[in-house]
Amino acid sequence: MYRFREDEQDYAVLPDVKPPELNQYGKPIQLVEENDALAKKSLNINGDSSIGENPNRYKQHGFYFNADNCISCHACESACSEKNDLPAHLAFRSVGYIEGGTYPAYQRLNISMACNHCDDPVCLKGCPTRAYTKFAEYGAVLQDPDICFGCGYCTWVCPYNAPQLDTNAGHVSKCNMCVDRLEQGLKPACVSACLAGALDFGVIETKPENRDQLEVQIPGFPDPEITHPNIRFQQNKSLPREMTRPDSMPLRYERDEQGQGAYKAKVRKKNKDRQWGLSKLRSREDPLVVFTLITQTVVGAFMALFLGNEVLGFESLSIEHSPIAVPVFLFTLLALETFALVLSTMHLGKPHRFYRSFNNLRYSPVSREVAGIAVFFNMLGVYTLLTVLPSIFQEMPKDLITSLQSFFGWAAVVAGPVALYFMCKIYHIKARPFWNHWQVYTSFYGSMLSQGSLLTGLVFAGVLAGKGASYIELMQLLSVTVLAGLVLEAVGLVFHARDLEKRGGEGAASLHEQFTTFGKTYISRNIGLALSIVAVSVLVLSGVDGWGGYSGWFLTGVMLLATSLVGRALFYVLVIPTTMPGAFFWRNQSFQEHARETGLANMQQVGVVADIH
Amino acid sequence: MLFGRKHKNPIKIVDKEVVDWKYTTCGYCSTGCSIEVGLDKTGKAVSSRGVASADVNRGKLCLKGIFEHELFYSENRGRVPLMRNQYYEDFQEAGWDQTLDRTASEIKRIQDTYGRDAFAIVSTGQIMTEEFYTLGKLARGVLGTNNYDGNTTLCMSSAVSGYKRSFGSDGPPGCYDDFEHTECLLAIGSNLPEQHPIIFWRLKQALEKRKFPVIVVDPRVTMMAQMADIHLPVTPGTDVVLLNSLAHVILDEGLQDREYIESHANGFSEYSELVKEYDPVSASRICGIDEDTIRNVARLYAKANAAMSIWTMGINQSTHGSDGVVGINNLNLITGNVGKLGGTSLSITGQCNAMGTREWSSCSGLPGYRALEHEQDRTDIANFWGIDKEFFPKKRGMFQTDIFPAIETGQIKGLWIIATNPMTSMSDTARIRKTLEKLEFLVVQDAYEDVETNEYSHVYFPAGLWAEKEGCFTNTERRVNLIRNVLPPYADSKPDLWIFNQMEKRFEQGKKITFPETAEGVFEELRQLSKGRMLDYSGMSYDKIEKQRGIQWPCTEGDETGNARLYTDGKFQHEDQKAKLIPLPFVDNNERPDDGYPFWLNSGRVVEHFHTRTRTGKLGNLNKFSPTPYMEMNPDAASELGVEHGSYARLISRRGDAVVMVQLTQRVAPNMVFIPFHFHECVNRLSLGLLDPHSRQPAYKQCSVKIEPVADQSAAAVRNLAARSF
Repeated sequence: MYRFREDEQDYAVLPDVKPPELNQYGKPIQLVEENDALAKKSLNINGDSSIGENPNRYKQHGFYFNADNCISCHACESACSEKNDLPAHLAFRSVGYIEGGTYPAYQRLNISMACNHCDDPVCLKGCPTRAYTKFAEYGAVLQDPDICFGCGYCTWVCPYNAPQLDTNAGHVSKCNMCVDRLEQGLKPACVSACLAGALDFGVIETKPENRDQLEVQIPGFPDPEITHPNIRFQQNKSLPREMTRPDSMPLRYERDEQGQGAYKAKVRKKNKDRQWGLSKLRSREDPLVVFTLITQTVVGAFMALFLGNEVLGFESLSIEHSPIAVPVFLFTLLALETFALVLSTMHLGKPHRFYRSFNNLRYSPVSREVAGIAVFFNMLGVYTLLTVLPSIFQEMPKDLITSLQSFFGWAAVVAGPVALYFMCKIYHIKARPFWNHWQVYTSFYGSMLSQGSLLTGLVFAGVLAGKGASYIELMQLLSVTVLAGLVLEAVGLVFHARDLEKRGGEGAASLHEQFTTFGKTYISRNIGLALSIVAVSVLVLSGVDGWGGYSGWFLTGVMLLATSLVGRALFYVLVIPTTMPGAFFWRNQSFQEHARETGLANMQQVGVVADIH
Repeated sequence: MLFGRKHKNPIKIVDKEVVDWKYTTCGYCSTGCSIEVGLDKTGKAVSSRGVASADVNRGKLCLKGIFEHELFYSENRGRVPLMRNQYYEDFQEAGWDQTLDRTASEIKRIQDTYGRDAFAIVSTGQIMTEEFYTLGKLARGVLGTNNYDGNTTLCMSSAVSGYKRSFGSDGPPGCYDDFEHTECLLAIGSNLPEQHPIIFWRLKQALEKRKFPVIVVDPRVTMMAQMADIHLPVTPGTDVVLLNSLAHVILDEGLQDREYIESHANGFSEYSELVKEYDPVSASRICGIDEDTIRNVARLYAKANAAMSIWTMGINQSTHGSDGVVGINNLNLITGNVGKLGGTSLSITGQCNAMGTREWSSCSGLPGYRALEHEQDRTDIANFWGIDKEFFPKKRGMFQTDIFPAIETGQIKGLWIIATNPMTSMSDTARIRKTLEKLEFLVVQDAYEDVETNEYSHVYFPAGLWAEKEGCFTNTERRVNLIRNVLPPYADSKPDLWIFNQMEKRFEQGKKITFPETAEGVFEELRQLSKGRMLDYSGMSYDKIEKQRGIQWPCTEGDETGNARLYTDGKFQHEDQKAKLIPLPFVDNNERPDDGYPFWLNSGRVVEHFHTRTRTGKLGNLNKFSPTPYMEMNPDAASELGVEHGSYARLISRRGDAVVMVQLTQRVAPNMVFIPFHFHECVNRLSLGLLDPHSRQPAYKQCSVKIEPVADQSAAAVRNLAARSF
């Protein structure tokens, strides 16, 4: 391990400082008292049981970045990558920039950013496996790749792009604050490598020598209210009113008309026509498109079946009247959900660690979602057995079986929507403004209602039609929920677009992408949605019956499925996180896509993962 | 406060388990940073770190140095010698004896048939001083070809020429410590943050302690320009006009150091006569800097108690490169800023051992800053080597940039290229291809088999790189520093010194001369040959160099340390010990933008790459920052042409065309584009490279191009990819 050298230079040594009691967010800087149970323990770094003697060991530390000085020489990033032995496609610290002005009154503001070891580490809260710990020592937020199963949720919630999902290795890793160096009294490797007097490190709220600001924000940096990051800035040199990014994010940063106030993220509108963007519709999150849609459909379909029979007394939905259709339908639902769960597991970097998803029920919506779905799945399973194969329970009194059947049915009916509630909560991410809207609820519950009911309807209308019976009544009932779901979805979309436009920033930039890069696809989806509403209304009002009517319903189902798939895919690809600006090549999404498309990425030294799926 | 868990898990952090740190000096640029390479217990090089006690870098390294240990294991290193009859045939693997014999016999055949000078050697700034000296001995003392030069002609020969013209000798007179003392810094065509990040850090450290004005002359708004107090976005190729005009103001306002000029310089009257023509009003119309700014800068510079100038390729790579250097020297002479604390003319060199080749390779003459033109020098070296002094020519032969045209027209038939890559680095790639294919025999000696020039070779010698060998580099402040051998050369590659020594054994003339086997043995010869000269090494030894983390020459026998500055006594190397003030009339001979080719094409370095990327293009953690060629273009100009950010565009010059990715930025003027020079099949397909009359250095940075959008973007992507084997 790195040891203090005899001739270590001052710039690399942590100074002793007297910080204030509280940080700028009102939290104590001293994380635990010296006599606390958490204190005076070894960090056990690589099995070393010694305890560091840094006098400020239990105070929150953080990076200090003087943006006026950064020259984008990459020394910090490189020192970090060298120390942590990172492959080219990963970086715990990255330098991006924004620029503005007109030649020669041009200015570039470079921003070097790693993990900010936040007061409110959203990564720690979000992680379903509890791979994260915020240490009492230095306030370091550390992540353990050996616990992580590579779901990547922390990379969604972090506003600074600090956790790094390595799709090759199948796990996340991130900045470790060089706690090994801190224990030796040395500043982190990146700070010690800085060649421009830009990057520094110490107890939070203390200024390095020769610096006079302790700002919590600079242009291009996300809203610090999201996580209360432990980084402080200096940025004194005046900048042009408008700053742009060299990467492909359709964002710029602008002050108000008078050139005053903080820089705000705004949409950088490109003069682009509406495109289909179909090739860009696929993403790493494809399994989630299928997983969410299936789960919502299965929950909705079961609710339609169970409530239709149990509450509204549609006999055609009961096992007595449909002794083959009901069992097949129930087992199909179970099979669909099993498939969806397998798909979501395969989406993990390390699928064999799937059982760790329940580790963080206390904080993580992912854990809760998985738990919710597991409960629903099991309730549905037991209900299915009790309903379809009561013979295996013949020891038990018949009444008991009926009560149990009813209990598990109701339990699944409750657990399903509850699971979907947590599924919605997953997308409540401040760092992802496009998702951070109640439209997620209208969309997910809308899918539950429309697709679930329509699926149940299609199956049992088919059964009825096969018997030569009328299914009008059944479809009249189910079309109410189908329409409710579709309208809910549509209303959500309208408000979503309106609100995001109003809020501006990354959300509005996502909308801009939606209207341009995916413009034609987006319109087609909306037409599909509208046509579905019209088709369902026409079919139900016209009262068509028999196979002729059935084919109408079937086509409507196909249209709805296509619409949902496209809509959900858009939901995933359109999100623009509040991350830091990238550079022209490094951390530039469009260059990465280009490198993958053209084959440049096949050279490992290009630093772009060739295959992200 | 949220901790996530009550019981801490143990922490795992990468531990490279270094058991031994070996002392070396960085092999990229000329800053001369001391690096320790960490070896683990299996002997693998796993880490690099700056030496904290080294004065140059004080523990710091730039990103290239940080990953330098990865070079030992980089792709496409030369494994074994290769051979073929014609360049268009496939290579066959061969042994060292076989390839050395073939090369020796081809050299003999060519020299016997066409004359000694028909075989040329083009070397580098990359190998060790001891190797340069040995190569010089081989070229001058054994083969006796006068067409022997280094690629330093592409980067530093204007500085050499300018120093010689002004001060009577090469040798940068200042040092990095001058930043700590200066009161005004003028940086002309030098972008430290990108090209010499550690020197920038030294400057920044000095500025943190004590603020002084920084003036940057650069047509591009580099980070250096952005941090300057005054940025002069000069019109390309007109630095001499600006320098003359600064001198005009100084003399006009009587701000010059009269005493210094009188005691230490000649030629004042002719100089001041010429400078009169360059009043700031007339000058402003040529160089694009307004008259007030010219006056302001001139006054600032002249009134400072100590002022210094630094420059790099912005000056050197110009048709007025040598004149530009002289112009800077003139400015410092008339203000008395030579050889004093904080007052100097400091050229910032490009390659790790460009200085070593200048001092000891005999490219431009004979070792130890000796000249072929001086009889005494010829006699001294002939006697020292034990050969007849008449074996030496009496005048320097061709520069690299003249050797290639001589191959083109058939005067030169054979060529030995050592650690340089003209296929990528020389102007007008098409012409270089045409030239190389005319050679009857080309031997390429390089650490990398895929160095593009190897495409035309008949024999390839795989050489060891950097710390696979032992020896010294001299940095840009004349500091001789040591590279200890860290690892044996890769596979069957060999140290350059070994290759030269083996070659010598194959010639009759070689038997007359002693060629020491070890680098340290060669160093002993350098000590002896330098005794009493300006570049005195006699007080140095390997151990002493390592202990002091580099020693600045002169260091005379008996001296504890070296000397930080030259000319502190005001005595120069011209015969009368005075410096020369040289009038610099300006003729604009550049290919300026016109209606047909409306953009200036500028080129330069980026921090993550070195030269033609044979090394940095293979290390992902460097290459990823610019993995493919691009140009910086002004968005206003681009929108008129319909060229888009992130797309490919085509540039066309009077030489050829190139396809690059477009990065739109206001960093460049609307009538200029900038392309990093590192990429194969890129900027040098376009560049003109007019030669400086004194230094024969090409003007890479000034020519004109037109630009058109590319309709078929995927075809452009395919074309770009095809040119990228690394």
